[in-house]
Amino acid sequence: MWDPTISQSRLDFDCKFVMNQYTALGNLAWLKMLRKVFSFHQISLVVLVGMRVQRCLEVWKMGIINYLDALKLQEKLVSARKVHKIPDTLLSLQHPPTYTLGKRRTDHNLLISQSDLERIGAELHYTQRGGDITFHGPHQAILYPIISLRDIGLGARYYVEKLELTMIELASLYGVKACAGQTGETGVWVGERKIGAIGIRISYAVTSHGLAFNIDPDLNYFKHIVPCGITDKEVTSLRRETNVVLPAEEVIQEQLILCFARLFGYTSVSWKEGTPLVTSEGKFDEV
Amino acid sequence: MAWSRLWAARAASYMRISVPSRGFSSVVKTLKYAESHEWAKVDGNLATIGITDHAQDHLGDVVYVELPDVGVAVTQGNSFGAVESVKATSDINSPVSGKVIEVNEELNSSPGLVNASPFEKGWVVKVEMNGKDDELNKLMDSDEYSKFCEEEDAKH
Repeated sequence: MWDPTISQSRLDFDCKFVMNQYTALGNLAWLKMLRKVFSFHQISLVVLVGMRVQRCLEVWKMGIINYLDALKLQEKLVSARKVHKIPDTLLSLQHPPTYTLGKRRTDHNLLISQSDLERIGAELHYTQRGGDITFHGPHQAILYPIISLRDIGLGARYYVEKLELTMIELASLYGVKACAGQTGETGVWVGERKIGAIGIRISYAVTSHGLAFNIDPDLNYFKHIVPCGITDKEVTSLRRETNVVLPAEEVIQEQLILCFARLFGYTSVSWKEGTPLVTSEGKFDEV
Repeated sequence: MAWSRLWAARAASYMRISVPSRGFSSVVKTLKYAESHEWAKVDGNLATIGITDHAQDHLGDVVYVELPDVGVAVTQGNSFGAVESVKATSDINSPVSGKVIEVNEELNSSPGLVNASPFEKGWVVKVEMNGKDDELNKLMDSDEYSKFCEEEDAKH
């Protein structure tokens, strides 16, 4: 449908997707192999059918959400996704000041006491995700993808690499040259400074938790931890690393979502606002 | 999902065309395999369980293994522990039902054994099976598992 008001980023995304469809089967070498056996018409049928295979992503823009509420929601979504009651879902949100630990409970990397935590208005939560201690707070874009890795044949390693690439691509939109960490330093770095963190849980091949990208959070909060258990490395933000005037955060978050959708090969994205309500029968909208 | 690619992969393999492979995970013939990439070595009513070479390759370097306690009950298809790699914790699901009678304590100090020796030194638990024979029929043999891995890898 004719839509002259379509945003540039949406236009760019849609066009790249159409282009990707032609290489969606991933592999020209594949087609050449098959062409030796099957006729042109048979190959065309396979390509056409392949192009019609839809991969849909449902995105929920949730605003600022308490950590525990988001965690409980993710558990429900994982259970629903596991039995195919919902499509691949992506939660886009921010948290109030919150410190979280991973499965290994590395609380020696928390440098302040419980009472001091309360005094600075932060919460602490223990989780089942991978990774070490980290901080989440306002002006940090968080994505929690609840997707089936089995449907796309990915393991943890490639999934995490694509999450790193998602943040690297976003940073590049603002002229910031970020890269993935060295072995054992999963995350996204600008030089020696960390701009994006990752911590994932995979249960029955369905993902939860995800990535956190520093747009412009209060970096002082990171002084109370050894971030990700890595000493002597700073934490940074997009604000610090770029001279470009940043647009509204919602725009940056939308760009992050589009980078994710493109890198993971989704053919369509549906946008919802608010908190999804998961019942035993299915999923309904709820603002 | 990408069933047309799956069809193409099956067609190619039926026609015995060599397909550009993404690398070659090893498979041990005498073991049984679950779709969630765990293996079981059955000896009477004892099963040794671990994760496969395909699984460890897709996980990356394992830095931590969460082992269950001895005596814990496990059920087929359900999680009993986890591995952590590249900031991701991945559940390990049991291919059989029974009771854990031994865990591989060496994984506490050397989690990398899961990568280096997934079918031998990297074993995770030993389970005394609780006698449901048809459970083993739900698992794959080595040929079925190899095909399963190829089809999964063809999805991307």
